[in-house]
Amino acid sequence: MNSTLIILAFFVMVFMMIAGIPIAVSMALVGIVGGIAVYGMPFMNSIAPVLWGVQNENLLTSIPLFVLLGELLLRSGIADRMYLALSAWFGRLPGGLLHTNIGSCALFAATSGSSVATAATISTVALPSLMKRGYPIRPSLGSIAAGGTLGILIPPSVNMIIYGSLTNNSIGKLFVAGIIPGLLLTASFMLYIAISSLLSGNALREEKVSFKDKLIVSQHLIAPLIVFGVVMGSLYFGIATATESAALGVTTVLFFVVKSGRLSWPLLRSCFISTARVSGMILLIIAAAFILNLTISLTGVAEVMTKWVTSLGLSSTGLILGLILFYLLLGMFMDVLSMMVATIPVTYPIAIALGIDPIWFGIFIILMCELGLITPPVGMNLFVVHGIRSDSGTISDVMWGALPYAIIIILFTLLLMVFPQLVTWLPGKM
Amino acid sequence: MKTRLENILGILFGTIFMTLVALVTVETIARKLFNVSLQGVDELGGYALAIGSTISFSLAVFGRNHIRVDVLHQHYPDWLKALMNWLSAFSLAAFAVFLCWVAIQVLLDSVTYGSTAQTPWATPLIYPQSLWYSGLVIFAIVTSCFAAWATYLLFTGKQQELILEFQPKSAKEELKEELDDLAQRSNLDEIVKKA
Repeated sequence: MNSTLIILAFFVMVFMMIAGIPIAVSMALVGIVGGIAVYGMPFMNSIAPVLWGVQNENLLTSIPLFVLLGELLLRSGIADRMYLALSAWFGRLPGGLLHTNIGSCALFAATSGSSVATAATISTVALPSLMKRGYPIRPSLGSIAAGGTLGILIPPSVNMIIYGSLTNNSIGKLFVAGIIPGLLLTASFMLYIAISSLLSGNALREEKVSFKDKLIVSQHLIAPLIVFGVVMGSLYFGIATATESAALGVTTVLFFVVKSGRLSWPLLRSCFISTARVSGMILLIIAAAFILNLTISLTGVAEVMTKWVTSLGLSSTGLILGLILFYLLLGMFMDVLSMMVATIPVTYPIAIALGIDPIWFGIFIILMCELGLITPPVGMNLFVVHGIRSDSGTISDVMWGALPYAIIIILFTLLLMVFPQLVTWLPGKM
Repeated sequence: MKTRLENILGILFGTIFMTLVALVTVETIARKLFNVSLQGVDELGGYALAIGSTISFSLAVFGRNHIRVDVLHQHYPDWLKALMNWLSAFSLAAFAVFLCWVAIQVLLDSVTYGSTAQTPWATPLIYPQSLWYSGLVIFAIVTSCFAAWATYLLFTGKQQELILEFQPKSAKEELKEELDDLAQRSNLDEIVKKA
């Protein structure tokens, strides 16, 4: 097994994916062909136990549960009013409603975790009022597209569960590790909005809202914040595992749905079906990833690649810089979930061999996925936000609007390289 | 028929996880507040996933949710679009049948050795595994039906139908689904008006 062959196999897999073969099939096929090439037919016997093992893994049960939690919160309409509440608080900052876009995306993300749902909901609520009040179009679209990416960094995050399960790291620690970077990145986005609006010389602000009115609209924040508190609190204080905290979260959301009088059979049924569809897609990819992982571990691919990378004389800093470039390019053409599962089995052991902290690396991977969501030509959030525009502008508006945020994400990653404690400090306290 | 099967599977999926949510909530609260543990909820969580995930594989087929990247696909000429759609449907079915074929080994081993779970309950594994396997078989049947339909369309020259019915789900489509749902949530207009 040499590194050229492995790189070739990787490119064949990526080619199949980009050509339009289902992601799960592409991964499993490369795994199976590779395994048989090295071990012959007996390799097949080792697939079955791995398959049962991954599908019977209690930890992964948290995936459908978190998806269900987000669906309930979203489809019951509880999350929609958050925008209104936040605009009362953030409207006075220079850049006005643009801050509300980022803030409500962050809060929405904290409970939902689906970038598409976040960007779609916020755009629908926000775009008409942004247009009406004369906010410039590019920053408006860009702030929503970028805000939507916060979903996978701010816990609970399904992408983090996938990283944790592929690399055997604690989901609880990963979630907790996402809090400080999530808040800081949100703050960086907002700082950028404030500075760029002030520099433009035409900083829009919203009208003043009285403190009493602020408190009144803030009631819409109660349910999402309590759900977030239950999930993260039970994890942080060690009361519950990831799966248990997800279940507690679902129970809490159900309480609010019942209380709001919106619980109905059609609502539940549509939540069930969309949860099943999304989870089925994720879980099949994970099953395929474990088949690929089996081949990778049996054939010693990770060791070969680690040796190859160390023979290049790369330091851990050099590796991360190289990986930023690698993920930036890959993220332009691949959907981020596929990008994660296809690369982690190889990049993770290399990173660990060079002494990089596994939790830190997890946050790094998530940031690279965020970048992938807003880099053209394949940037899911760009398409979504563009799709909601009612005027006939081109997609390049949202691409240009999101560009500064892509740069901020890269700079933010460099900041985390210089101060890794921003990631590792909080989980270290658990 | 398709919608009916989808509804049945969806409700089954939901029931499995809602029951689990109830059990886990009760167990976590009982454990923390009263120091009483209903043992084996973890184990049930694993079985719920095993059975629920195989059901969800099929539901994702109905919704065309199994991800395909469409960056090149949208620029293909029609004949290649049709061909790739057929290849995707066929390869997904082949993968599902392959999973059934390798997974039978797990079942046979459990029967031969009378395997039980390494837990206080010592559940005979054949029970959860048979349900899990049934889910895989349903997945194989569903994907095979889709593949057969795609093959029929391919060989009868119904290119446009093959392109439409089997295309990768685009961001546009996903967005449309989100927006339809948003429109149904009654309070949205009011929020847009207030904002």
